[in-house]
Amino acid sequence: MIKRVEVQYRGIFQKNLGKYIGGDIVMIASRMGRVAFSNGRYSDAPERNGIPCKYFAFVTHDLSEEELEAECGAKLDIDAADISLVVDDTMSKGVEPWGWHGIRPVNEKVGHKGCLLMVTRREHDDLVRFMAKKDYPYRLARLEGDASLAGLWVDRDDLTRERCLGAIAAVDPDVIGIEAVEEYLREKTGDENRVRAAREAYEATLRKNKVVNAGEGIDWPHEIPVLPKWHEFEEGGVVVPAVPRGFKLGPRGQNRNEGFKHGTSKTERPVVRFDLCIKCTLCWADCPDECFDPTDDELYDVNYEVCTGCHKCAEVCPVKECIVMVDELEFENTDSPWEHHKQDPAGYIQWAEGKKGTKRIRYAHVTGSTGAEISEGTTVPPKA
Amino acid sequence: MTVAEQVSIWDREELLTGCQAVSHAVKLADVDVIAAYPIRPYTEVMDMLSKLIADGKLDAEYIIADSEHSQFEIVKHASSVGARAFAGSSGTGWMYGFEALVVTATDRLPPLFLVGNRALDDPGAFGVEHNDAMSLRDMGWLMCWASTAQEALEHVFIGYRVAEDKTVRMPMALAMDGAFLTHSQHMVQVPTEESVKRFLPPFDLGERRLHPDKPVSIAPQVNEDWVMELRRQNWEAARRARGVIKQAYEEFNEIFGQRYDNPYFSEFMTDDAEAVLIGIGAVKMPTQTACRRMREQGHKVGYVNLRWFRPFPTEELRACLGRFKGVGVIDRDFAHGSPDNGGILMHEVRSCLYPLRERPNVINYMGGLGGRDISIEECIKMYEATLAAGRGDMPEELVTWTGLRE
Repeated sequence: MIKRVEVQYRGIFQKNLGKYIGGDIVMIASRMGRVAFSNGRYSDAPERNGIPCKYFAFVTHDLSEEELEAECGAKLDIDAADISLVVDDTMSKGVEPWGWHGIRPVNEKVGHKGCLLMVTRREHDDLVRFMAKKDYPYRLARLEGDASLAGLWVDRDDLTRERCLGAIAAVDPDVIGIEAVEEYLREKTGDENRVRAAREAYEATLRKNKVVNAGEGIDWPHEIPVLPKWHEFEEGGVVVPAVPRGFKLGPRGQNRNEGFKHGTSKTERPVVRFDLCIKCTLCWADCPDECFDPTDDELYDVNYEVCTGCHKCAEVCPVKECIVMVDELEFENTDSPWEHHKQDPAGYIQWAEGKKGTKRIRYAHVTGSTGAEISEGTTVPPKA
Repeated sequence: MTVAEQVSIWDREELLTGCQAVSHAVKLADVDVIAAYPIRPYTEVMDMLSKLIADGKLDAEYIIADSEHSQFEIVKHASSVGARAFAGSSGTGWMYGFEALVVTATDRLPPLFLVGNRALDDPGAFGVEHNDAMSLRDMGWLMCWASTAQEALEHVFIGYRVAEDKTVRMPMALAMDGAFLTHSQHMVQVPTEESVKRFLPPFDLGERRLHPDKPVSIAPQVNEDWVMELRRQNWEAARRARGVIKQAYEEFNEIFGQRYDNPYFSEFMTDDAEAVLIGIGAVKMPTQTACRRMREQGHKVGYVNLRWFRPFPTEELRACLGRFKGVGVIDRDFAHGSPDNGGILMHEVRSCLYPLRERPNVINYMGGLGGRDISIEECIKMYEATLAAGRGDMPEELVTWTGLRE
């Protein structure tokens, strides 16, 4: 019997978290007399901000290490996961790890009666409404918490790691057991807070654990590419037609790489109050992904399909409350906000303020500090 | 051996990636000079070594080079003054340093290099292919592939031990498959410093050491007057290396327990086999599982995992493979335009078997290029075809591309 665990994490900001959890599972399983190993999905490029990536851990009770490796060690991805741990719930909207891969459902690899374990503050139904239908039932377990986003090559060390281990023990004790998790953390860190965090997450996850029935969810809207046969494309490594030159004003006016849109990298997206814009061009100029499309009224539309949610525009915008980052799960589509604004200026402001709410979060990877900065926003009235 | 001695062989068991395992071995080998330049998948080795130095756990010169060419020149020169030197690279990085790699062999200097096997770009690809390391096969290098993180760690010691032997003094390339080995976390047994010291004596270049007190000149312009004799010396060293390798493994087994039956390759379920597959590196994993499944159904198949490529284990492999009727060679490399358009390993194996009066039928598989995985199901198909080939039912084409979109 082999248990397969995948950890779906965001590049850079959660890379160490993903790797640590994979390694911890091996250590804990080994303490329990089980055999395990862990690896990352090699085709990933986790040095890209926020890109969805994977770590794997494989655990067996009855096979030798050699047999376990033989079954799992030379494969790039798994066919089915017993547990798919997702450490940022905004990946519910799909994951596009690299070009030619397409935007894929976050629950793609969750096997029959497997468990999708998600770090989230949202309710069950509020997550399922973003996820693809499957033709068999699986479990959705929720571990209450925020996406633990850290800076470059660091770990937030905010107990997410310990809590995830406790939650994994709750959803499948055949992977690791909670007592072994506790012993491991106690011995490794000597810190009872860490042990307690794992235990509490274990107990909470036992309660927040519900079946998603076959057919529950959405018809997946994104096409999964089929790659050509060896004789079906141009020789010499010319695989994809290049992005055409030239552009026109307006939404989607810039030509972009249709083969790799990158937009599933974001945890938040910028909401723009076009009425407050002073046309300074900084968002457009500083956006590292060239997401802003100039419009004929000298504003800048945002293409959310390619926006990676890096915060740069919100940081450089000199106008208070003009560009504000908002949780990605607040949004259903990637429609042009500028078009919305043009069609119904007053309605757009109301919509934007509704999305923004009053809570403002600047994550650690933006502030450079160890924790997120939380503050109160204000609702700025329409510009006269 | 006393109980106390046995206990002190292994220091700890630690969760390590293949790259980290190599780094810990480099530390335990008490390396003096490290030259670093990043390229995936090798990069994690230099990352880990710099961390070991920063943490005060390793005392070595760590020189960040401006390219692979400089990186390899640095370790070559360090080696010439008697320093135990280490560097590594992958894919095109390896090729960029090629001039330095070639002269390290002709200058008969023994640094150890890790090759984290990677495809040769263009187009960009991080995944494993063996052509980077294979490019050295005719250049007077020692070449060896690890197939687990543990084996990689142990072959840093074995590698230096063989390379630095005064009858050998050849550079050593220790290769491991990108991704499947370099980036996979395993429980690895890490030996104590004392046990490594028992196995690996200090590097002593003797009279050849470049030192101002006793000037020597290395690699002057010699042209037709000397080159042929120098090549003959290289050839002789490669021949002598076989004996040294044998002795090194015997001593390794004495100190660390019986870990290797045969230095050059390992055999899996070959005892009464009718047909075997042979390959290098991580492909061992799916092939051995496939082999087990075939055995469960009564098929007499086995697997040979080749470890040493240079020197090539001619006699040993001839004796081994000569027992079978069919041999399927898996190449994770290419040799475009070669005889039968086969892979590098196939040519070596077939040429090795040619003098046998009773030769097995050899067929060839090209697979796993650019890091594509080779599935257990593919391996089962390879076994079936190799069994058939052994019974005289040869495929229409000698070479089959497996796992290709066609």
